Amino acid sequence: MHRKTSPLSLTETRGTCGALCVLLAASALSICGVAGAADGIPRMPDGHPDLSGTWDNGSGIDFVQPKRVGDSVCVRGCEPQARSASSAAPAAASPPPNRPKYRPEFAAKVADLSARQVQTDPVLRCFSPGVPRIGPPDKIVQRSNEVVFLYDDVSGNFFRIVPTDGRPHRKDVDDTSLGDAVAHWEGDTLVVESTSFNDETWLTDDGAFHTKDLRVVERIKRTKDALEWTATAYDPKVLVEPWTTTKRTAHLTDEEIVEAAPCLERDIDHIVDGSHHTNPR
Amino acid sequence: MGDKTIVNPAIHVRWIAWIGIAALSSTTLSVAAHHSFAGEFDSTKKAQLVGTISQVEWINPHTYIHIDVKDEHGAVATWRLESLPTAMMRKAGLTKDLLMGDGSPVTADVILARDGTQNLAWVIKLAYADGHYYQLSAPQN
Repeated sequence: MHRKTSPLSLTETRGTCGALCVLLAASALSICGVAGAADGIPRMPDGHPDLSGTWDNGSGIDFVQPKRVGDSVCVRGCEPQARSASSAAPAAASPPPNRPKYRPEFAAKVADLSARQVQTDPVLRCFSPGVPRIGPPDKIVQRSNEVVFLYDDVSGNFFRIVPTDGRPHRKDVDDTSLGDAVAHWEGDTLVVESTSFNDETWLTDDGAFHTKDLRVVERIKRTKDALEWTATAYDPKVLVEPWTTTKRTAHLTDEEIVEAAPCLERDIDHIVDGSHHTNPR
Repeated sequence: MGDKTIVNPAIHVRWIAWIGIAALSSTTLSVAAHHSFAGEFDSTKKAQLVGTISQVEWINPHTYIHIDVKDEHGAVATWRLESLPTAMMRKAGLTKDLLMGDGSPVTADVILARDGTQNLAWVIKLAYADGHYYQLSAPQN
């Protein structure tokens, strides 16, 4: 890893640092004092929002609302099966799923991958979901020059180290599922740009493949106790237009992430008709 | 509660009924939405097993609970009961140890595999000898 070195001597550095620290501290106090009072957002000494924390993004299981009675637990199917007259009313139509738009020449490929999703979807075989499919980080550790994203995913634990000090993308890394990320601040929003992807992940489900030219820009903004996350995928070779995910909101939690259980796929051989349902992650 | 044999062990029939299930969530990302339940299990073919839990595989994308079931001749067959991802179990406060229980007989309501695989099922509910239970899936699921 290459770090920028200061041209100042040690003595000069100490003296300069001392003066700078006083100024920065005063500046930070001022920023913290004003912003903290106004929006309740914890901030780093440099004034940027502190995104550090463990963030419950629902992990796609928001619908699980366990009920506990004594030592017994009902995880699914806890509600009475009979529907009342009022609840029998037709449900409002769901909006169409948010999916990337492909160039016409790739429509057949997407359709084929989608039709064979049980066999072709990487996450159904425990591979990395990639970016942006992995979603917002489950935990963030922020330092002055980088943020570290940690993920507790059904496919395993993943991490991303994201410089925020102006470094360019690395040139010494292979293409990977999560790519190479750098970030900068636009106001209070952390903007993360990732490149150097392999082509082994999907943007979402239903055959949403991408090429190695994929570039993803994630925008992360903290409110008081929540994190708002969106990502836009740019892959003009195959997409008609950039595709932006549905906004997701993660909430600060004191429930720590854990080492992921091993992901061992054992179902595919027993699926008799290839049927699948919505699986956007 | 003594051991008893499987109720409705008709697992040699090939069923082609399509069982539609509601999407777990169409608007949120879905850890649980791994594959279609209907593609692997036949909700019209339910059974009740009584045996002892011999192993809990704490793995993703689905946990597996192994239960040793005796038939009327005393022969023991180990069933693999597929269940929820670990994240859902954790959200419900369930751990590997809790699922294992204390070694007493357990009654398992299950749904059999569509492809006729012997001793493979989806578990709806585990009821333990002291009366407590874990309902892990909707009965029609």
